[in-house]
Amino acid sequence: MLPPHGGGRTRTTHMCGIAAFFAYRSSAEPVRREELTAITEHMRARGPDGGGTWISDDGRVGLGSRRLAIIDLSDQGAQPMFDVGGELAIVFNGEIYNHQELRAALERGGARFHSQTDTEVLLHLYRRDGEDMLPLLRGMYAFAIWDSRARRLFVARDPYGIKPIYYADDGGTIRFASAVKALLAGGAISRDVDPAGVAGFFLTGSVPEPFSIRKSIRAVEAGTSLLVDDGHGRREARTHHSVASVFRQAERQRVFAGLTEPATFLRERVEESVVHHLVSDVPVGVFLSSGIDSSALTAMAARATRRPIHTFTLAFREFRGRAGDEAPDAERFARQLETLHTTRTVSREEFQADLPRIVDAMDQPTIDGVNTWFVSKAVREAGLKVALSGLGGDELFGSYPSFRNVPRLVRIAGVPIVARVARLVRKHPKAAFIGRLALTYSGAYLLQRGLFLPAELPTILGSEMAEEGLRRLDIIDVVDRAMTPDPMSEFGRVASLEASLYMRNQLLRDTDWASMAHSVEVRTPLVDAALLRQIAPLLVQDRSAGKETFAAELPPWLRNRPKTGFFVPMNEWLDLPDDGTTTRMRSWARRVFDSFGATRF
Amino acid sequence: MRIVLLATDAYGGHGGIALYNRDLIEALASEHEVIVVPRIVPHPVEVIPAGVTFHRQAAHHELAYVQTVARAARQRADLVICGHVNLLPVACAISRHPLLMVFGIEAWKPMGSRLSRALLHRCRAVVSISGLTRDRFLAWSRYAGPTHLLPNAIHLDRYAIRPKRAELVERYGLAGKRVLLTVGRLAGAERYKGFDEVMEVLPDLPRDVVYLIAGGGSDATRLQRRSVELGVSERVLFTGGFAETDKTDLYNLADVYVMPSRGEGFGFVLLEAMACGLPVLASKHDGGREAVREGKLGLLVDPANPAEIRAAVRELLDRGEKRVPPGLEHFSFARFRERVIEMMAQVTA
Repeated sequence: MLPPHGGGRTRTTHMCGIAAFFAYRSSAEPVRREELTAITEHMRARGPDGGGTWISDDGRVGLGSRRLAIIDLSDQGAQPMFDVGGELAIVFNGEIYNHQELRAALERGGARFHSQTDTEVLLHLYRRDGEDMLPLLRGMYAFAIWDSRARRLFVARDPYGIKPIYYADDGGTIRFASAVKALLAGGAISRDVDPAGVAGFFLTGSVPEPFSIRKSIRAVEAGTSLLVDDGHGRREARTHHSVASVFRQAERQRVFAGLTEPATFLRERVEESVVHHLVSDVPVGVFLSSGIDSSALTAMAARATRRPIHTFTLAFREFRGRAGDEAPDAERFARQLETLHTTRTVSREEFQADLPRIVDAMDQPTIDGVNTWFVSKAVREAGLKVALSGLGGDELFGSYPSFRNVPRLVRIAGVPIVARVARLVRKHPKAAFIGRLALTYSGAYLLQRGLFLPAELPTILGSEMAEEGLRRLDIIDVVDRAMTPDPMSEFGRVASLEASLYMRNQLLRDTDWASMAHSVEVRTPLVDAALLRQIAPLLVQDRSAGKETFAAELPPWLRNRPKTGFFVPMNEWLDLPDDGTTTRMRSWARRVFDSFGATRF
Repeated sequence: MRIVLLATDAYGGHGGIALYNRDLIEALASEHEVIVVPRIVPHPVEVIPAGVTFHRQAAHHELAYVQTVARAARQRADLVICGHVNLLPVACAISRHPLLMVFGIEAWKPMGSRLSRALLHRCRAVVSISGLTRDRFLAWSRYAGPTHLLPNAIHLDRYAIRPKRAELVERYGLAGKRVLLTVGRLAGAERYKGFDEVMEVLPDLPRDVVYLIAGGGSDATRLQRRSVELGVSERVLFTGGFAETDKTDLYNLADVYVMPSRGEGFGFVLLEAMACGLPVLASKHDGGREAVREGKLGLLVDPANPAEIRAAVRELLDRGEKRVPPGLEHFSFARFRERVIEMMAQVTA
């Protein structure tokens, strides 16, 4: 095996916005270059350093990309990329962390490479394994491969959905792109709002996959791939990874969990993931809050790399001297680790000045992402292009209150008196629904995580839109599918829900647009399918092992700090009206939605 | 130098630790006087090398053991080697600073009695069979003294590439088949050899590929049931326990050695397989990684990823030819002896 840092110098580019068109029906118009270019150009922020488009000779297929150069801009990484015979063409957005290992295996099998890029590895791997290539990839990705021999388009997305890809299929031509707004920029797709997407946004704070805010646009779901055949169109999506099935499998593997000290095994595996995520030898930043996950990750990254690492923490005047102020502890820890530390203070004025750009970069309505916007801005100001984030630690190690509350709610909601008492408690807007929703994991999860509840939507959206939206969305079904197959354990169920709903639709999507807007690539070592498969048997058995492992990385003064985590004083900045919640996220959601509505709907 | 080795077993033992101890004793005996006090001697004893005193009577009963240890103590050894952490109180009773050996999963989490653990700081050094075992031991033990690495040795002259023995091909019905092999105890409580993981990818491999599981143990029934569930019962063959003398022939029945394991301290069987010319698949997540020298001598897979196992098995099946990798010399007995001698100089300096 090659050392993790080897060959890093020769890596060149990271594709950051892609588009793919296939006019699969003979009656469909050929691909229009102006439309493809308009879509690709719309993603310029995602890839400011270059771009390219290609349309097949018969005009049936078009590929486009914008790229961000992490090291240098040589031509060997240019996209679309073709194989030697010109039979396969690819556009790729993301990062394959084990590409050197895969490349070595392909070379042993006789493959000849012409560049050092992970893009070319994908081409060779597809040639060897076809659709079966996906479980071999460790990384974040969305890519499209045009296979001219079989005349089909293969589109795939990483296990967790770290990298986005959306499509619109009008029955004759299917169009894929990294952003909803980019697809619209082509001008050929209907802008009609999807009430299901809107309802999903108000229920959960983000638009749940596979829905989008536009009726004509769907997400290729995380962990799936699509094949589009000439003449026939899209085949049913194929799933190559689901968190729920990993936890179900883990039930059978419980026996492994006892072999090693849990903390030792977990540390080995997480460190391995960190090393993989540091694959290219460029200066790397780390988002450092004073929370356990980001601090432990920083400590591990500092150990794993020979270069000094840069750390970034946000500070707000509004929080100074209060528990929410992360800066002092983060600074103290950064000094201890000898990182190059930046505390970036964000003022109300800066936020208000950036707000129009934030809303513009926001691909779909969401209540989060402002924190990532500013910390990515800070990374970019420091001249870095890559940053690690501790995102996913709470989902992996079960540190959200939901891990305790959801199973508890399901247990107590079955007791009739609880429902009756709950209905009498009018103080909290959600209390009245305990009796009806909390009988199942899905309902209890919505109650725990929900922004608004279904019965509240008509007052916000009007009864017609609310009704259609709720019917088409079928939120309970969306939540149920995140827990299918049944992971069989309390921990596995909540972990599947958190990873496949909140993390996927909210955290990862927001991280993508908010960091890409600053041309920064965020890597998430704790959001890694290989890591999950390795440690799931242990997590279902010893749910505190993960937290303990991370805590052990930290000095005691930091270990016992109450959980905060990249909060932004939105309330103070915007004078949001009281909505019955402390964070006023409900008011913020309406504000976001309105700004979308004013400019986009 | 006079060295006392408190071993679990050595001569008359069949397991991996017994084998390792015999190599260690032989290497030590080339320069030193070695007195061995075994805890158990389950089988008839082989020839003891010159310069070695093997106190087999110690294994008879507790009293005999104590008496033998006491007698060994009176012989004023220059160094006491403790072959298992459970024996550390005994070792510390006869030596101020014994040398401790650690091997496999027994050292991966807190082991031994509280007394043994409290005595760890008395050790002059800890010798580990692999870097992985060392790191996992250090993680829980808070032992902070020196450590040494001493991987298994392979006597290359005892193995060879041979044609498949007709009688065995017939016994297991292997004619016209390509054979994947794993050698190991079928221990129900541990399940770490990776038998399940190999069976799970079998349906995706060509029909002429069969899986030979060599070894006896309590997990055989469960594994058989699992092969039925997976629809591959006709392609999974069990040898049960086998004679040590058949071992080389057994390896030579196979085309590829596979062990996507999670619990190998080192994975000596991988060395045996390579010494018989088999291409090998080992695990990224246990000592097997070091047995194939981080991938130089064989392919490494994540045992939790069936796709990786499948791809690696296919690649090794395609390789076709058998040859002993030149890098296997790294583990030859000659090199082992050099390491032992150098280590002895360091720990007694």
